[in-house]
Amino acid sequence: MDDCRAARWEDILPGQQHSFEFVISAEEMAGFAALSGDRNPLHRDPAFAAAKGFAGVVVYGGLLVAKISRLIGMIVPGLHAVWTGLDIQFRNPLLVGETATLIAEVTRTSDSTRQIGLKIRILAPDRVIALAKADALHTG
Amino acid sequence: MDSGGIYQRLTPLFCETFDNDDIVLRPEMTAEDVDGWDSFSHIRLVVAVETEFNVSLTASEVAALKNVGEFVALLTRKLS
Repeated sequence: MDDCRAARWEDILPGQQHSFEFVISAEEMAGFAALSGDRNPLHRDPAFAAAKGFAGVVVYGGLLVAKISRLIGMIVPGLHAVWTGLDIQFRNPLLVGETATLIAEVTRTSDSTRQIGLKIRILAPDRVIALAKADALHTG
Repeated sequence: MDSGGIYQRLTPLFCETFDNDDIVLRPEMTAEDVDGWDSFSHIRLVVAVETEFNVSLTASEVAALKNVGEFVALLTRKLS
């Protein structure tokens, strides 16, 4: 179980916030390329990224989704989570090596279904990277 | 709100949940009558209904429902 947060259903309340910082490394980018099969040069080649108008190699959107997986699986709902839905918009690129912060707020809880709604923002210091809404069940 | 109004507001929720614009709700309708009405889609439907009608349902209220008609009756009570 490592350090999975074992929140009880009754302790998860609308308005609660959770956040963490992360930096995506070149090694993680290579790992995602191997895992996903997505070898698009936007995510691998600085010259290609620059030619497309980006300041550097762009972090995979899938890696941002992976950070949402960390939120749901390890923090809220945590140990008893079953992830059921995600709606995400990628607003601005995150570059490899940049520090980003994921901030999540519990927006609703449904006692009848034990499903929670989450509003998620992934931010760099000067811009919004992604906005998302996620649903997850608490099966505890 | 009368039951007609509830059926009117429920129908698009069913259509969206089950990705089927042809669903016509009937009081006797059950999960057997709708393709894809499984436990996960049932949860999505119930949460969508709670959000649309701004009501909170309990697990026991939902578990007791036998068909759409009983769902509408429950909502009618909650909204009155």
